[in-house]
This record gives sequence, C-alpha cells and structure tokens, in this order.
Amino acid sequence: MTSVWYKPELAERIMSQSDIFSETHSIITDIVSGHLDISDLVQNMAGVLTHIEPENREKGMRFYTKVLKELPRDYLNEMQVKFISKFYIDRLKDHHRVIPPVLEGYLVLIDMNEYKIQNCADFLPVLFREVSCQSQLRQDRYNIYLIMQKLCDKDIEFMKNLGTDFVYGIVSAMDGERDPRNLLLLFAFLSNFIKSVPLGHLVDEMFDVISCYFPIDFHPSKDDPASVTRDDLANALCPCLCAVPQFGDSCIVLLIEKLDSNLRLAKIDSLKLLVESCKTFTPQTYIPFLRALWSSLNREMSNKTDDELKLVAHQALAALVAKMATTADTDQAFQNFLKGILISAQTTIAEATTVAQFVKGAKVLLTTANASDQSCASITRAMVPATVAYYELKSTPKLQVASLDFIGDLYECAKTRGLLDEVRAQVSNVPQVCLEAVSQSAKEFQMAGFRTLIRVQECLGEDLVLPFVEILIYNVQHAQDNDLLSISVETIHMIARKYPELIMNLVVKGKCNLENLTQDKVVFQKRLNLLTNLASIDDFTKVIIEQMMKIIIDNDVEASHVVEAMNAQMSETSVFSTEKVTQIESDHGLIEPVLSWLYREISASNPDSLAHGFALISNTIGSLPPEKQQIILEKHTPQALEQCARDDNYFSVIECLYMPLHPTVYSSTFEEILRVALKVALGSDNEAARFKGCMLVAHLLNKAEHGQRFELLYELLKVKLSESNREDQNLCPRLILLYGWITKALLMRGSEMFLFWLQKVIGTISTVRYCTDAAEAIKLIMSENPEYLSAKHHCRISLLYKQRMFQTFSGLADNLKQSLPSENKECYLLCWAYVLDKAPKTVLKNEASKIAPIIIDSLEYSNKDMLLVSLDVLCQFVQMSPEHVSSSLQTILPRLISLTKYMKSMDVRIKSLECLYEIANNFRTSYLIPHKQDILLDLAPSLDDKKRLVRSMAVRARSRWFLVGAPGEDKDN
Amino acid sequence: MTKSVADNVNPNIYEKESEREKTAADFDEDVEDLFDEREIFDLIRNINDPEHPLTLEELRVVEESNIRVDNKDNTVVVNFTPTIPHCSMATLIGLSIRVQLLRALPSRFKVTVEVSEGSHVSEHAVNKQLADKERIAAALENKNLVQIINQCIAAA
Repeated sequence: MTSVWYKPELAERIMSQSDIFSETHSIITDIVSGHLDISDLVQNMAGVLTHIEPENREKGMRFYTKVLKELPRDYLNEMQVKFISKFYIDRLKDHHRVIPPVLEGYLVLIDMNEYKIQNCADFLPVLFREVSCQSQLRQDRYNIYLIMQKLCDKDIEFMKNLGTDFVYGIVSAMDGERDPRNLLLLFAFLSNFIKSVPLGHLVDEMFDVISCYFPIDFHPSKDDPASVTRDDLANALCPCLCAVPQFGDSCIVLLIEKLDSNLRLAKIDSLKLLVESCKTFTPQTYIPFLRALWSSLNREMSNKTDDELKLVAHQALAALVAKMATTADTDQAFQNFLKGILISAQTTIAEATTVAQFVKGAKVLLTTANASDQSCASITRAMVPATVAYYELKSTPKLQVASLDFIGDLYECAKTRGLLDEVRAQVSNVPQVCLEAVSQSAKEFQMAGFRTLIRVQECLGEDLVLPFVEILIYNVQHAQDNDLLSISVETIHMIARKYPELIMNLVVKGKCNLENLTQDKVVFQKRLNLLTNLASIDDFTKVIIEQMMKIIIDNDVEASHVVEAMNAQMSETSVFSTEKVTQIESDHGLIEPVLSWLYREISASNPDSLAHGFALISNTIGSLPPEKQQIILEKHTPQALEQCARDDNYFSVIECLYMPLHPTVYSSTFEEILRVALKVALGSDNEAARFKGCMLVAHLLNKAEHGQRFELLYELLKVKLSESNREDQNLCPRLILLYGWITKALLMRGSEMFLFWLQKVIGTISTVRYCTDAAEAIKLIMSENPEYLSAKHHCRISLLYKQRMFQTFSGLADNLKQSLPSENKECYLLCWAYVLDKAPKTVLKNEASKIAPIIIDSLEYSNKDMLLVSLDVLCQFVQMSPEHVSSSLQTILPRLISLTKYMKSMDVRIKSLECLYEIANNFRTSYLIPHKQDILLDLAPSLDDKKRLVRSMAVRARSRWFLVGAPGEDKDN
Repeated sequence: MTKSVADNVNPNIYEKESEREKTAADFDEDVEDLFDEREIFDLIRNINDPEHPLTLEELRVVEESNIRVDNKDNTVVVNFTPTIPHCSMATLIGLSIRVQLLRALPSRFKVTVEVSEGSHVSEHAVNKQLADKERIAAALENKNLVQIINQCIAAA
C-alpha cells in the first residue's frame, strides 16, 4: 500500500484527521531513505497550505514545521533551505493564526547546517513589519527572541551590517515585555548584543527600553516549582545597563535617582550597578556626578542596622575609587574626590564617642585606601599622623585601642601595596606610640600595643628594643593572663628575628639566662617556655638547646621542667616546623638524653612529668623521615623490650617509639611488639598501661602496609585473641574495648574487615552485663583525639569514615532492636547518641525520619551524655527540618519541660530550654498556639533557677513563647 | 499608626558594655547565683527605643547604677532616664521595661519602674501610670500598643 504522503490526498488528511501528525516519523524515514522527495511532499500538501480557511492553513504550517523539526539537521541542501526560507518569509504575511508555527519552523530552519545568514536579510524586515511581537503569546515572543539570538550567534558580523534597522527592530519588538522567563533570555542576549553591534542613533531608545525594568520589582509565585527569582533577573539586567560606555550618563543619572529611593532593594541594585559599571564606563563619565555619588554612598555606609547594604556600599566605593584613580595624574577631580572622603571620614572619627562610630569612619578610609595605590598613599600619609595625635588626646581607652588597631590596618594596607617607602616618614614613629601603649598597666592597652607593633615590625628601630624587652620580659615572667603571655612571647619572637644579637645579649644571656637560677618555680617555667620558643629561630637554636640538653643530661632538679617546656613548645607546628625538629635531633641528639632521663625517672617521678617526656619523644620521632625512624628503632627497641618484660610501666617507652612511625617503616620486631602490646592491653593491672597497649595495637593495624605485612599482623592478632579466655569476667570488658580499638583502626584505614569486629561489639549491647562496655567501645570508635590515630602519627584516615560507621551502625542496630531486653534500652540509645554526636550533620538530616524517633525516645532517660547529644540533634532538626519532628510536638514538649528541671546538670537544662526556644522560633504558629499557655506556665519556675546561665536561657525561651502568635511577632507563617 | 518626627532627632549615643564575663562559679553546679543588678540590667539593656534603631543602653536610658535588687525582700527597683525632659515616649519606655521584667523575672519579685528623679517634666504622672497595675493591664489589652512593645523587646 502506498502511504498517503505520496499522494495529493495528504492535504485532505491533514485537514480532516489530526492523527497524521503522529506519523511524521515515517515520512522522515521515507525522505531520508530517498523514497520521497521533500518537494513532492510539499506539492502534496499544497491543498492545505493554500486553503482558503486560515484554520486549515495553520494546520498545514504546523505539519510542515513538525516535519522540518524532525528532519536531520544536515539533510537539506543550500537551495532547499533557501527555498523553504523564502516560503516561510512569505507566510509571515499571512493570518495571525498562522504566525506561531511559522516562527517555530523558522527557528528550526536557522539550525540547519546549510542555512546561509543572507536568508535573514529578507526575513527580518518582513518579521519586524508584519508581526507585532508584543501581541503574540508568551511562547511565540520567546521564539522571536530566540531567533534573534541564534542569528547573532551564527554570524554577528553580518548582523552588524544590517545597521540600525535591525537594532530598531529589536528595540520595538521587546518594548513592553513582561514575562520573567522571556526577560531573562532577553537580558542575557542583550548584554552581548549591545556590546557587539553599534547602536548608532538608537542609544537612548535602547537604554530607555532596558532601564524601565530597573530596579527589578518582582515576586515569584510560591507554587512555581522552577521559578525565576528576583535576584536572577536583577543579576541579568545589571550588565545590560552598563554594557557600553555610551550608556554612561543616563545610567549614572538613573542609579543616583534609585539610590535615593526608600526601597532597600533599589539601593542595593543601584550599588551593584555602580560596581558593575566601573568595568565599562570611562572615568570622565563619573566626574560630574562624583559629589552626588559620594553623598549617597556615605549615607548608605552609615546605615546602622543593614549589614548587607553597608557591605555593597563599601564595594561600590572601592570600585569607584579604583576607577577614578586611573586619572590621578591627569585630572584634578580624583584629588578633590579623595579630599572629600578624607574630610568627611575625619569628621566622623573626630566626633566619635563610641567605638562603633570610630570604626565607621575608619572603615570608609580603609576601603578607599585599599582601592588604589594613589588613594592608599594619600590616606596613609594623612591619617597615620592624625591618628597618632588622636591617640595622644586620650579620649577613652576603648577609642585609643581602636585607633591603634586602625594605624595597624593602614600600615598593612600600605605594605601589601608595596608603598612603605613612600610613607616612611609618617609611619616611623608608630613603634614609639606602641611603646607608650604597652607602658600602661591595663591589659587592653598592652595587647593592642603589641598587636600593632607586630604588624609594623619593619619600622621598629634598634633604640626601642631595650624598653620593649624590659616590659616583655616582665610580662613573660609575671603575667597572669594567657592572652597577654602568648602575645608577649610572640612579640619577643618577632624582635628576635629582627635583632638576633640584641635579644641574644638581653634575653638569652641576660635576663633569662638559665644559669641565673631563681627561687620562683613558676617564673622559671615561664622563662623556659620563652627560651624554647626562641630556639626555633636559627640564630638561637644552638645556644639554647645545648643549655637545655645539659640540664637534662646532668639530671638537674630542673630537668622535668625543661622537658615540659620543650614538649609544650615543640608540639606547636606553627613555631617549630618539621624540618626544624629534624635538624635539632640530628645536630643535638634530643631523643637519646631524654630517653635515658626517662629510664632513670620512670619509677620515681610523677606520671605527669613523665608523660611530657614520652610526648616529646613521640613528637620528635614523628617529625623524622622514615630512614631515621628506622635507625632509632633499631637502637632502642632491645632495651625497651627487655625492661618491659619485667615491668608494664616500661611499655610507655615502646609505645612512644612505635606510635609515630611512617607507614613505610617496618621491621621484624613488629610481631613481637604486637604480642607485647596485646599482652599489656588485656593482662596489665594498670589501666593507663592497658589503654596504651590498645592504642599501639590500633596504630600497628592502621598503618601496616597492604598485602603481606598487614595479613601477617592481622592473623597474629586473630590467633592471639582466640587464645584468650571468654569466661573470665575481668577479661571480657577489656576484650570489648580492644575490639573497639581494632574496629576503629580498620575503619579508619578503609578496610572492610572492621565489620567483623563491629558486629562483635554490637552483639554485646544485648547482654545485660556488658552493655555499658559496648557503649564505651562505640564512643571510642566515633571519638577523635589528637593523641592517637591522627595525621600527626602518620595514620591512614579514610575520608568519610564516620559517615560509613553511621550507616553500618544504623543497619546493625536495626537488627538488634528486636532481641533487645528492656533494661538495655538505655544503653542501646546511649550507643546511638555517641554515633549521632560525631556523625556528619548533613547525613543526619538525610536520615531525619529514622533518627527523630530515637532522639525522642532517649529524652525519657536520665543519662547526662545521652541527653546532651539528643537535645543537640533535636535542636538541629528543629532548625533545619522541622517537618520531621513537628508531628511529635505533643510528646516532645512535656519531655523537654521535665528536662528543664533536670537537677544533675545545668547543661541539660540550658540545652532543653534552647530547644524550646528554637521550637517557638521555627515551627508554624498554628502548631504552637495550642501549647502556648501551658508552656509559659511551665517555664516560669526556670526563671528562678539557681544558675544564672540557665535563667538567661529561660528568659530567652519564655520571651520568645510570649511572642508566638502575638502582634509584633516577626515571622512569616 | 503614623509616626511623627521623633522628639529627640539627634540623641547622644554611648558605648555599649561588653557581655558579662562568665566566671568559673557560673559553671559550678553547686554554687547558687543570686540575682544581681547586672543581671537585671542585662534583661533590659537591649530593649529598643521606640523612636531610634538604638538600644536603651546606647542611649543611657537605663544604667546598671540605677537598678537595685534585694534578694531577701524580693524587690527590684529600676530607674530610667529619658533622653530629654519632655520626651513623650517616657511612658512607653517605662511600660516596655515593665513588660519585659514581668515576663523575665520570677513572680516572687515586686518590680518598681520609675523615672529617675528630676529627669522628666511630668515625672510624677509617668510614675503614677507605671505603678498602676490596672492601667498596665488595660494597656496590654490594646493590640497596637502590644505590637509596639513586642517589637521593642523582641531583641532583648
């Protein structure tokens, strides 16, 4: 049978039956396979395309367009495309019903490979003449804009040659467009179009058509799933308004006008436009408007409450100053502009009675200074001496401190711009001012003085070193305040880098000389801290470390203090780099003497000072490269093992030697070490030793290299553990904890085998006797501690291991739930709490529907840790996804209220009050209203809690509940 | 309600005090913290002035030294100082302070809110209004008034 499209009856079919539209793919197959020529097809359609009824002509064009749409883009040849194009152009003159399919079809035609841009020279005039764009439907207008865009994308040069007629066509087509999606397309198109096509005499028309949308005032419907937001539109419009320099005057007049409006969004949009415009407009454009712009900017920067507005205003000022600075050499306008800013900000500063006002003026100046080299130089030159004078006026302490900080800010600004040489004369006496500040006894002055001195360190002269050092050394030895102490040490460190010789004489060999013994232990300890800190500077390392080593080797009474100081300072990686520690070890041999000191003291000294020694060794070994670690192991292992066989206390030595190794380090003794560690972990009577044993087992397992080495250790571990006696009631808790450690080690290295051990741990949750141990093990697995399994110990830490633990645990815990004895419920929930506490917050949010019931359950029990975690997670849910908990409001509220009277811990009381506050803040008013009166009554007793912190949270919660549904509440629903 | 030009267009602004420092005793479960002047001050310092986007503390309408607390007799006395003697907002400010303390203090305290002596032209009348329980109850029935007060004390 021959299909209908081979015959002229096709026309009749199109008119009478719409099912032919679904058969176009067969037509395409026939055309592409060569059975049917497209011109024949058109011939057969003649009847419908030229029918007397517009309705039928529309059907014909729809059918034609559908065929075109489905044709492969490379099928038609140039002649065919040209012919079809001519036909479509002709159809533009037809009845308005026919226009939509014509536009759609032409859009497809442009995409054809053989479409020549010349065709559009005929198309566009007819389109602009015959079709009134704004009388079309939304989709058809969209198609018209899309046609323009595609044509421009195809050959922008040709479009330029069409001249202003084309521009005029576009301007009149888009004039009055109201649909947000169309506008979004138009703005994106226009910002490029205006830049590439000369607008000729139509500049003003074009600007008028675009600028009528500014500032965008648009409220998307809430039901629209993929709505265009106001910000999308505003961001798209902004570049159009300042696309070409010719828009300059009109654009700035417009933005000044909108800047003075009362609408907040109008101001923000105008400021953003100002920033954007600085990219295209010439500086000359702004000159006539500078005064008006500055007064508007100044007003917005003084806004008291709106931080976003202030921020954008500062950005706009920065952009404007940077732009104007390019004319600094040729035009007086920039200087005048700058002078205006200076005078106005100076007045603000001079009249300031509060820090907030001072900072407002200072911030304006800093923004201006940061914007360009010229402004930075002028402002620093003018403001540094002025601020110094201001400081000396002694207004109020807070203002003086603020002015010191401001000087530091200005200095840093000049420094980052490389302008220090230009302002040398003005900044040279800043250290003198700092000295004045630190000479006062008040902490705030000293802090500010040192802070600023560190910032302006380059201009600290040699003559001022002595007075500073006097004060600093006094602080270091006597200051009670930690902040002051640490900034003093930091300052000495800074001076020592600049004037090593002076500090060497004044401090190291002078005031803080270790041989100059003092009676006061505290002062001596502080001195040691300072000296160890200075030892990180190359010039001092030798002298100081040698002195300290000597004290340790001589086993002086002070040795333990020295070890403590060295441990404290050398673990600070910001002070002692890894290279520095390595260098100290190879030049001065730190480990050897410390270790022998430890051997001597291990039975006598108190555990704390020994711990410093072990930590010092562990840290030092951790900083060494693998080869050196290997050498140290070989040297010290035999003795340590021998001692350890006699006394568990010596296990600490093994532990500090083997903990911080690189994963690549391995020796045959590892198996022996693992055996010893297991023995200690399970068998020792000393709890601290057992802990260290477990820790070492975990480290060995975590770091062993994949393959043989790991298999060997793992097998050994399994064999050893299978030998242990499970009936022993003392052993079982230790075993469970060790399983926890093993799980943690394997989990962190990303090994699947952790599951085996985790199952063992979770299995014990259902036993009445050991469930608390299981909870401890779970807590351990989730915990994170710099002392073990950290990057410092070169451990393998796989990404997202906590997330993995959470997923695995929640799977295993589900199975457990059925077999759980009721008295273990609390323990079970406690395990959950430990997991939830450390699991990533985003995961919790995704699993909210599963976790929420667990949380709500656990609010009934009285375990403090569990309550704190549960309340914390509940608070998060209330804030982020109230929908998961809102249905349980009736259960939650009484439980929270009873927790506000939880006597054992004020933290629980505070947290539960916070939850109540967040509930009032986040839930829909309609849910809350029924409970309001009860809650207000129930909260009253908390106002009289004996702890002030609880009371203050209770006040917040109760005041918030008072506002629920009351007039003046600031809430949407 | 339309708002006319503020009584005091350009008031003096003062420094805000820093937050109360938390001491070790604050975290000690066994120590009982008594109410003191600073705690009362903290309850009302952040109340907003009805006319300016400023707090009562920044305008020095309330000061710690103008507050007295007696834990034994259960009394709290707050004196406040309007920025200018003919301030028409004095009653409203006093009412805001009262409402805030009513909501935030345990009911055992008897609260007195008064204008500082000599700081307002109609001092006596304002004090009388603020002391009259029934007038205050009546004022709180007025929806517009409650809205203004709630907005003032929302941030406190």
